[in-house]
Amino acid sequence: MNSTPDTDTDTDVQDLRVILAGGGEMGVRTAELLTDRGHDVVIVEADAERCRELTDAYLATVIEGDAARPETLRQAQPRRSDVVAALTDDETTNFAVCMAAQRMAPEVRTVMRVTATPDELYEEYVDGLVFPERLGARAATNEIAGGGVRTIEDVAGDVEIVEIEITEAAPVAGKRLDEVRLPRGTLIIVDYQGNRLGGPDTVLEVGHRYVVAVESDVADEVMNLMRG
Amino acid sequence: MSHSGRREPTASLSLLDATMVGIGAMIGAGIFVLTGLAVDISGPAAIVAFALNGGVTTFTALSYAELAAAIPRNGGGYAYVREVFSAPVSFVMGWTRWFTYMIAGSLYALGFASNFIEWGHLYGIELPGPAVGYALFAVAALVTLNALSTEASGKGETVITLVKIAILGVFVAFGLTAARTGEFRPLFSKGALSVLPAMGLTFIAFQGYDLIATVTEEVENPRVNIPRAIILSVVVTVIVYLLVVFVAIGTLGAEALGGAGETAIAQAAEGFMPRFPVIGTGASLIAFGAVFSTISALNAVVIGSSRVAFAMGREGQLPARLGRFHHRYGTPLAAIAASAVLMLVAVVVVPIRVVGNLASLFSLLGFVVVNLALIRLRSQQPDLQRPFEVPFYPVTPILGIVCNLLLGLFIDPFTWALALGWLAFGGVVYLVWSRRRERPRDEAEAAEIQAPEPIASAEEGDD
Repeated sequence: MNSTPDTDTDTDVQDLRVILAGGGEMGVRTAELLTDRGHDVVIVEADAERCRELTDAYLATVIEGDAARPETLRQAQPRRSDVVAALTDDETTNFAVCMAAQRMAPEVRTVMRVTATPDELYEEYVDGLVFPERLGARAATNEIAGGGVRTIEDVAGDVEIVEIEITEAAPVAGKRLDEVRLPRGTLIIVDYQGNRLGGPDTVLEVGHRYVVAVESDVADEVMNLMRG
Repeated sequence: MSHSGRREPTASLSLLDATMVGIGAMIGAGIFVLTGLAVDISGPAAIVAFALNGGVTTFTALSYAELAAAIPRNGGGYAYVREVFSAPVSFVMGWTRWFTYMIAGSLYALGFASNFIEWGHLYGIELPGPAVGYALFAVAALVTLNALSTEASGKGETVITLVKIAILGVFVAFGLTAARTGEFRPLFSKGALSVLPAMGLTFIAFQGYDLIATVTEEVENPRVNIPRAIILSVVVTVIVYLLVVFVAIGTLGAEALGGAGETAIAQAAEGFMPRFPVIGTGASLIAFGAVFSTISALNAVVIGSSRVAFAMGREGQLPARLGRFHHRYGTPLAAIAASAVLMLVAVVVVPIRVVGNLASLFSLLGFVVVNLALIRLRSQQPDLQRPFEVPFYPVTPILGIVCNLLLGLFIDPFTWALALGWLAFGGVVYLVWSRRRERPRDEAEAAEIQAPEPIASAEEGDD
């Protein structure tokens, strides 16, 4: 994709070496996605039975043991890796793995899975946080609430990106954007054809879907305006 | 888009297919091209050389089986060594593997050319021009094929291999009745020690099973089938080799066989094979087999060499350009082109016996490193899951190392000089290249911890 291959692609052409601590469902799915993109994965998993299943899957090199034990983690070679991701279902184990990995390899990027509402201070210690329950809640909400509104992505903090279908009953139905007043904290990103950014002349037509960035405290108001 | 890193959900290669990939790379070119040259060196004892080489290869094949079952990575031997050793060691491994494939390509191209001319000769057609011309043409044609499409070149391997085995089967079936054991007396007509250089020369014929390690992701039930395929392919190959060499020496005699050089097998067939309808003499069937085998082996090494260069490019050990697919053809075009240039140069410049020795020497050295990698991995990562384990560890890999080194010592000094030259050139490349990319990627990335996730639609075309 890059037009200037020699200058800026040293980093992105390389495959990453990734250590995944925890070979449960989440670890396996992550390993699948990573190997599909050409990265090399090492999984550390404590359960012997699960290890056999993982080796059968032939997705990644598998090391049997508790990743929170330095002796086991060292075998996965954090120093030679780009990322260590602790994905077990135990938050303190994950934190311990990330801390140990950073001690063994100061350069390595750490990603940890949190299982409760994330402690804000985690960000000082690890490079990335994964909160599967929150992603799961988003998926669940999309399914439960059904068509019309679909959360696409939690960006950072309080902004949510949603896809909203305009209903007939919506106050703004059929109006041009410059005729309506959406609350502050709302931005129509993409218009219904998906090929233009929203602007003053965007018409909100019934039955079409729009991608909208919305701050959480005005979300309710926006839904009211666009859904009725 | 064809993508080597893409894992297809359907594993398409059965145990038979995977075994055939290994056999296909080993049976054919080596046996057709090198038998005459080996007999020239050691007389009837060439058969001993082949048998001992089979034994030596088995030690390393066991190590490969353990590593391939435990480490799901594309790139074969290079990938395993990269997993265990520091960057310079794995660079040497990749650099010599790459060269082995290229030099083997040149060997197969030259073998193709002589057998092609011989084939025409059997039909009474005198083909014009020097053999080198045909060799160059073969390399150019296969490189072009591989550069334009990976699909076209990877298919039908099993069928091609079965045809090769069938042709050799016919040769052996007729030959066993005609072979005279008297030709093997005295066995060591050129001295017992002459077996060693003959082993060195023919060792290249026993490499190729490692190609199985480059298709591991497509094998069904890989944990079980990969080790089996590797070991099976070595065993089958050794048996076929021994039968063919036995028949060739037993019918034509060591003296004449040695004189026939790279077309020895076809000439042996001329003596005892009956006439077939359509095909003509048995000799032309064998010559056809030789032409066919050398071409398919050449194709295999073109793929093999470009994969190693590609893997090294991905790892940042060679220019990143080599590790990228071409935007229009979807093939690792730069890696293929770089390999092609050297193959063409080797075809023109290096005589066939030196080519055989060079290829053998580098595969010997590569196998030493693979055995070392196995030993080191056992001590470094005791809890690594190993679905297949080398029996009699550590005796087996140590024997592998000792035998490979011993054979290396009996390869002539001129070959060693060429090999050291290539290694020195590699050292320069490595130093220049590692200096150019001194900024390690980790530092650059650590600076932007909060980098946003890529958007879903941008995930597919990553390069």
